[in-house]
Amino acid sequence: MKHSSVKITLPNQGKRRSQLFLLALVAGLAGWLTISGTPPRHSVQAAEGYQIQIPKGLPADVWAELIPKDNPMSAAKVALGEKLYFDKRLSVDRTVSCATCHDPATALADSNAVGVGISNKKGARNSPTVLNSMFNELQFWDGRAPSLEEQAKLPLINPIEMGMKDHGAVVARVQEAAEYKAMFKAAFGSEAVTIDTIAKAIAAFERTQLSGDAPFDRFIAGDTNAISEAAKRGWDLFNGQARCISCHAWNPSQPFFSDFKFHNIGVAAKDQNFSKLARRAQQLMVQGKDKTQVTDELALAEGFSELGRYLVTGQPRDIGTFKTSMLRDIELTAPYMHNGSEKTLLDVIKFYDKGGEVNPNLDGGMRPLKLTDPQMNDLVEFLKTLTSDATRRRVETTKAQTRQPAP
Amino acid sequence: MNHRTKRKIGVCAILLAGAFVLLQTVRAQQQPQAPVVAAPTAKVQLPTHPPAPGDGKSLVVQLCDGETSLTVAGMKPGDRLSPAQAQQVSDELMAQWLAKTDPETAAAWVREEKTARKAAAAPQKPAAAKAGATQTEQPNDFSDRDFSTWKREVEREVTYGNQIFHDDKLLGSTNGVSCAMCHPNAANTHPETYPKFQIQLRRVALLRDMINWCIENPSRGKKLDADDPKMRALEAYIMAQRKGVAMEYGKH
Amino acid sequence: MIPLKWGKRRETYLTEREQWLKELMDSGQTWQGRRKFLQMAALAAGAAAVKEFVPHSFQLVEVVQAAEPAAAAERPFTFAYISDSHLYEKTLNERFVRQLIRAVNDINALDPQPDFVLYGGDLAQLGQPGELNLGAEILKEIKAPVKMMVGEHDWFLDMGDLWKAKFGPPYYSFDHKGIHFVTLMSVNEKDFWTSKGLTPMQRMQIVSGLDDGRQSAFEVGEEEREWLARDLAKVPKTTPLVVFSHSPLYKLYRNWNFWTDDAEEIQALLRPFKTVTVIHGHTHQVLTNRIGNIHFHGMLSTAWPWPYAPQGLPKLTVQMNRPDPFNQTEGMGDGTITVNPSGHVDKEYLMWNRNPLKVSEKYLDSNGNLDRPAKTTLPGY
Repeated sequence: MKHSSVKITLPNQGKRRSQLFLLALVAGLAGWLTISGTPPRHSVQAAEGYQIQIPKGLPADVWAELIPKDNPMSAAKVALGEKLYFDKRLSVDRTVSCATCHDPATALADSNAVGVGISNKKGARNSPTVLNSMFNELQFWDGRAPSLEEQAKLPLINPIEMGMKDHGAVVARVQEAAEYKAMFKAAFGSEAVTIDTIAKAIAAFERTQLSGDAPFDRFIAGDTNAISEAAKRGWDLFNGQARCISCHAWNPSQPFFSDFKFHNIGVAAKDQNFSKLARRAQQLMVQGKDKTQVTDELALAEGFSELGRYLVTGQPRDIGTFKTSMLRDIELTAPYMHNGSEKTLLDVIKFYDKGGEVNPNLDGGMRPLKLTDPQMNDLVEFLKTLTSDATRRRVETTKAQTRQPAP
Repeated sequence: MNHRTKRKIGVCAILLAGAFVLLQTVRAQQQPQAPVVAAPTAKVQLPTHPPAPGDGKSLVVQLCDGETSLTVAGMKPGDRLSPAQAQQVSDELMAQWLAKTDPETAAAWVREEKTARKAAAAPQKPAAAKAGATQTEQPNDFSDRDFSTWKREVEREVTYGNQIFHDDKLLGSTNGVSCAMCHPNAANTHPETYPKFQIQLRRVALLRDMINWCIENPSRGKKLDADDPKMRALEAYIMAQRKGVAMEYGKH
Repeated sequence: MIPLKWGKRRETYLTEREQWLKELMDSGQTWQGRRKFLQMAALAAGAAAVKEFVPHSFQLVEVVQAAEPAAAAERPFTFAYISDSHLYEKTLNERFVRQLIRAVNDINALDPQPDFVLYGGDLAQLGQPGELNLGAEILKEIKAPVKMMVGEHDWFLDMGDLWKAKFGPPYYSFDHKGIHFVTLMSVNEKDFWTSKGLTPMQRMQIVSGLDDGRQSAFEVGEEEREWLARDLAKVPKTTPLVVFSHSPLYKLYRNWNFWTDDAEEIQALLRPFKTVTVIHGHTHQVLTNRIGNIHFHGMLSTAWPWPYAPQGLPKLTVQMNRPDPFNQTEGMGDGTITVNPSGHVDKEYLMWNRNPLKVSEKYLDSNGNLDRPAKTTLPGY
């Protein structure tokens, strides 16, 4: 090969060079800032100068995006929401607050299989944690509320939860309490109380209930010693043989281990009548009767609540489907599944291992997993790494809510 | 497979075992014969090019045409060029090459540089699901939130690739040479032409083979595993720059 | 699951279900599961619940009935279908077995029960005894009478010998409630194997590759066309026809044999009739076409969905949403066909994990202007 060579000398302190350096520096910085998706700082400024610390591992930009335009964050509103959240006077017999079933002492969830409301009335669904719930696309196990605001309104007037006659009665209770006047004024610029402002304040408080900085988050950030070898094997299984990731999706934008979709895994099919029930409901739908009416009839009928999202949409494909639950702090929120039917994480894994319960609308992603006992234990070890240190401390240091009637 | 005999250029970064940047222009006049045997599974020893002559005391940097090179005064073999120095050397070499190469080839290079695409990695959005889809459309599972997550995640990958592409240290370069010095905006990476028979490699190459080639040779780094996060990000960035370009595997 | 009735205690039910499936999967090279299964099923559900499977039993009964005057007043009535199960040897692929069982459960749970069930062909993947026997075993549990149709996957290992021995002739006709039904064997191929010296298994494997260009085009063939002409000669032109064929009786996409080579000849035989419906398998998707007075409907597979052909898709086809590959049963299922008083049909695709999708007579009659099926919302790739 024939070579022709030219010799050049590079200027040591030339103007051009320093310009280039500056350019490279700027480009590098820009790259760094955009690369992580979340800025390297974890304090986010929302509207009205509100500041919040977003725990490591949660997407600060997504948090900011999800604040509704008509309900901006403010310290006054959060303080009001917190007071309302813990206020048992919002229930008909003054024994139940939001915190009764979403108790900080149990990671803002409930250790009962299903929610227990006024006069020990039992609901049909397990109380999910409020932690990180602001990231849900839809609220409730069947997604029937589109926002935290709408969610907050419903238990207040549900006869087996807080039992108030109607929203007017709730507003009246709040108006009776003199200490709220100034707080509403500070939060909304007016002492007037409406069900919407009550809901907005509670939702704003709930948007501050975040949980992150778990060992898993430190592992993902590069600390290979943050979780045990068993947990690492579990994470591999989670993404592989155990197929968990198909629904319990994780990515930096949505690091909550949920696809926020609705799936039929057959939990409800444990009741042998489920198959018949689903087919009966499906026939009713196919026969073209008025959807709302049918949904209503079924929602009130015993057992039909097991039809899950179908009761909301009336779509046959939704028969027996429930929202994929998030998995952060899952160790602290037993029992599991929409009806609290599985007591331990190992029970849950065994349920999936056999491929769920066969039924006509079983999700096609379900199949026997053929996991060994050590593999199941590895999965449990992995799930335990999703527990936030701060949340664990909070659980350990918080006294449980009581049902002593509020004065 | 029809091959146009029209002269085309492919500018490829090629290995040089010394402290050299090597750029070589190849004119493909004939369709290379595809190998009839199965691709070898064993690792192949890749051909090397002889280093450009130097006095052994100064740093010599060579273009992949195997002919153009320059000696950097005041730097010894093995010295690391700063990003700005490396860019300057790269610019100088390309300027020399453009000055002496035939006008058609030079024009083709310039054209390709100009048409380099900006990152536009947003996934095509399928018809959005409407809340409570009626019986008049088949419901699907995707919400606006999903689209925004997908976009965010794919952009994260492309952005990371962008960063590696422009940062010799992240790339693992030991001599200060980054991808973007020869391939601004990933110009002349033509990912849409892979797989193709890479004449210099004597075998069918994928885009990732060429990325590794550049890492090992002009940049004198360690090659990346196919599933290395950096390799995935580099592929993502390079492909993103060519959005909308027709796939044309085997093209030279 | 099939052998047991609902109502048993859950644990017993689950144990027995798994045991039955295990028997189905584990029984050795010689097929012995049947007897064990019978014993267990009899034990669990009472002997009366188990019926012997007589090939085309329904057909023989109906031939007698055909002599009676059939009235449109007996319509509408419904029949169901299961199709394209592509069973492998039981040890090789448990998923396809489970999915066929799921379809049988679906159909058995229909209330009211369909008048009969069409099996649309491709019961086996490679036409092997283990596959066809396994399929027959599962289809025995269908409560309604079963009509069998053959597909190319059942045929080209032994040129239909075993299939015919098990299920009877590959083409036949019958009458039911005033409709003349014809089942065709439409997947004959011109001999491409003798000159190449292929073994039966090589021949079967070539045919089983949808995009394997070494095979010939599907055709009904001259002999069977002559039979069809003779059969139809006895039928008044006002009698509605429903024709079953494995391949679509029109030319859609030759590369995948979404095609019947003598489609024009067959259509010419059907054209004199006032009302004609063709129900076909092979395409594993929602597929709708109309050529003159002939309405065409595809059937779903229980094994996997095919993508839509890159060209030739009939204008009336409203595509089903692209299936999610991470959902192992999406885009699959079974279905029902309601025969209306006119003799044309409403086709209902019962898709797993999706909403049922209806393609009505009205939609086809109006050339797509009325009663349009639910709109596709995802782009096909």
